[in-house]
Amino acid sequence: MSNTSHEVAQRSHHTSGATSTALSAHSIDKKFPGVLANDSVDFDVRAGEVHTLLGENGAGKSTLAAVLCGLYQPDAGYLTRNGKRINLSSPRVGLQHGIAMVHQHFRLVERFTVSENVILGSRDLPFRLNRSDINEKVAAIAESYGLPIDPDATVGDLSVGQRQRVEIVKALYQGAEILLLDEPTAVLVPSEVEKLFENVHAMTAAGKSIVFISHKLGEVVEISDRVTVLRNGRVTGHVSGRGTANTKELARLMVGRDIELNAQRATHATGHEVLQIRNLSLVVNEVSMLSDISFSVHAGEMVGIAGVAGNGQRELSDTIAGLISPTSGSVTISGSMTTDRGPIKAREVGLAYVPEDRLGMGLVPSMSILDNLLLTRDRQLVVDRVSVRPEAARLIEQFEIKANGPDHLARKLSGGNAQKVLLARELSGGRGATKLLVVCSPTRGLDVGAIETVRRLLNDARSAGQAILLISEDLDEVLSLSDRVLVLYRGAIVHETPGETAQLSQVGAAMAGLASEGPS
Amino acid sequence: MRVPFRVGFEQRGETPRRLSLLVPLASVFAALFFGALFLVATGHSPIDTYSNMFQDGFASFNGITDTLALSTVLICTGISAAFAFQMNLYNIGGEGQLYLGLIGGAWAGIALGDHLPTLLMVPVVLLCGALAGAAWIFVPAFVRSRLGTSEIVSTLLLTYIGASLIKHVIYTPGSFFRNPNTSFPQGRLVADSASLDSFGSSRLYPTFFLALIIAVALYWVVKRTEFGYRINVIADSPKAAHYAGINANRTTIWVMLISGALSGLAGAMLIVGPYGKIEPSIITLGYGYAGIVVAALARNNLGLIIVSGILFSGLRVGGNNLQVTTDTPIHIGVMLQGAILLFALGGEAFRRYRIHVVRVHDVSTKKVAV
Repeated sequence: MSNTSHEVAQRSHHTSGATSTALSAHSIDKKFPGVLANDSVDFDVRAGEVHTLLGENGAGKSTLAAVLCGLYQPDAGYLTRNGKRINLSSPRVGLQHGIAMVHQHFRLVERFTVSENVILGSRDLPFRLNRSDINEKVAAIAESYGLPIDPDATVGDLSVGQRQRVEIVKALYQGAEILLLDEPTAVLVPSEVEKLFENVHAMTAAGKSIVFISHKLGEVVEISDRVTVLRNGRVTGHVSGRGTANTKELARLMVGRDIELNAQRATHATGHEVLQIRNLSLVVNEVSMLSDISFSVHAGEMVGIAGVAGNGQRELSDTIAGLISPTSGSVTISGSMTTDRGPIKAREVGLAYVPEDRLGMGLVPSMSILDNLLLTRDRQLVVDRVSVRPEAARLIEQFEIKANGPDHLARKLSGGNAQKVLLARELSGGRGATKLLVVCSPTRGLDVGAIETVRRLLNDARSAGQAILLISEDLDEVLSLSDRVLVLYRGAIVHETPGETAQLSQVGAAMAGLASEGPS
Repeated sequence: MRVPFRVGFEQRGETPRRLSLLVPLASVFAALFFGALFLVATGHSPIDTYSNMFQDGFASFNGITDTLALSTVLICTGISAAFAFQMNLYNIGGEGQLYLGLIGGAWAGIALGDHLPTLLMVPVVLLCGALAGAAWIFVPAFVRSRLGTSEIVSTLLLTYIGASLIKHVIYTPGSFFRNPNTSFPQGRLVADSASLDSFGSSRLYPTFFLALIIAVALYWVVKRTEFGYRINVIADSPKAAHYAGINANRTTIWVMLISGALSGLAGAMLIVGPYGKIEPSIITLGYGYAGIVVAALARNNLGLIIVSGILFSGLRVGGNNLQVTTDTPIHIGVMLQGAILLFALGGEAFRRYRIHVVRVHDVSTKKVAV
């Protein structure tokens, strides 16, 4: 895969060595107000290899990627392409040098076809487009890298995995030799991840360079030829050779200490039924969002709901929390029917709810931590902040929230700390003692250290006898924490399995709608 | 054509405290400078004109008391606009609610005659004015909360109907609100018990202190009470309000009703204060619209409205007197008010964004703004 004669790999006389370096960054500094996002970072990628940038959120990987593709200009340091110094004043200039970024959040026009999206932004298009030519070219590129896609399909009709393919094809069409993939697996189900990795191999085999950005250790080990680990804007380690890295070592480099991610499953027997859902269905605008869902969660039990986003998770959690009235069926919490009774009633009988949307739904961004603690509690006519202040200070300490105190504004918290505030409030009880905790994607977007804390908190709550419903797109999380796993697909529960014996492949297949088992 | 530089806006994480003070002040000065251009162009001395304005607005006994008298109304209409804005509701129709407050107050002042002592009569008149103002905004509030109908349009349009109503009750012969003793269309005077006395020889009425109390009280309500807490949650994120079981519809209606009542109260204050009757020229004065400017100058901060209300009143009083004392047209004053609003709103850009000029073909960024 290395000494390729492909055009990208043309060795300039500045470079030496067995493999040619396609793109390097030399002591890159990038400052933002109050943060040194990149602190003299060196990075390089060779033709035909996958070089992973690994790091927690805020470690500086996205900043570095933005510098590499021309989105940001470094404050110090410079880039070389095939040994020649280059100055990328914009992503367009980056593209002229064959560098393209595939963003985590796709930048596609949903109403356009695949081809139209691919040619979008090209400047040398003729006045009259020859669609069949373009379609042929798009199809040819897609075919050669194992990315089959119909050029005439409307992007809005495509699945997430297919849209990602369109983004990659677009980058290749524009002549990219170096592709930066920003957290490409975050939105994919396991089978799609596998497919993506095949595409990546096809691209590297053709001499393309891939910069893979991720914080998921397992896949990093699988895909990478080399790994560069960032922490707090600095490079903390390099690992070379496919499959040689081990996840424990990488996690230590990322976080700076040893990490235990696989939280222990509770061993004690589960108690009485706390949440009971019977034949729950929800139809919105004549579209069925939830269909005939029945299950229960017991005291001291954690039930995980796996599924690809948009299969009814939000509707399910909002219905349990009393925010949505179901079309039919019932929700019972601690023996009280809460269907149709609103969120306050549900909380009075013991519900705590950590929604997926932290800032904006779970927390009010412009309010202080103190005021956010009051959000789901009983408030007096004149709000009594004085008596809550010591509790707020205590929770900040207990949950290790990095804040200046109870008056710290929620929107100025990092993602992990915002999540801790939310958990602190929900776990500390409000209108009644917490008996049921519904948590949605509790660790999404958090760094490894915060993930560890959040998972520990969930385990502690379970050990304390609370019933927990964990709804998450992170399959590893659901599988490693839950006592029981249910799979939600198109609003129905299509698979149920005990957490301990759950098979990744089976659950993954059920998530993709290939369940052999009917609703249980 | 190629411009050699472009202006970049970068959102500020936090507005420096000094800018919060500097920007409104700079806005006022920028507006004065802008006005000076027109004064010079029309052959007036800006310095003389402004010093006259200042003299008449702030630096004489009559000036000060007239300014405070006018600010009584403008503080009320200012809080009316700012209070609704606390929840991102734009009550543009304070003007119309003020007309209704005038009608409601006059009705109570005439109909209840001399049955009640002043101590009771004045609060009743003020209350009736506030209720009439609230009633005028009820339909916009209701359709806004239930159907999401834009309150900007509905409250504004109702203002025109309110103005017609004022004309109707004054110009219709035999109208209850028309003075029956003159053939000239005039408002009928309210009962003596419904009129307050002004302080000494001034035109300042005790209602000024009521306006101050209301401003402070509402500030406290928003900062300290459960109702204010709800307003803040809904204003910042309706989803969080829904999540917490806060009824946004009901709160929307209440906030708008209170906003309407405050403008109505401003109208009733004119009844117990200087007018004693419905003065049809009210529809040319724009006190309700001026409240929006006052609120904008104070950036909807209920405490600062007292300051911006007095400042703005002073400009207006000074501007009005210009015509009397010099030959400068009154419109200079009106134009300055508009200019201040524009510059104050434009100044927001400096508070929210860091502004720098970037030379094209040059990566170096020069920061020219603070």
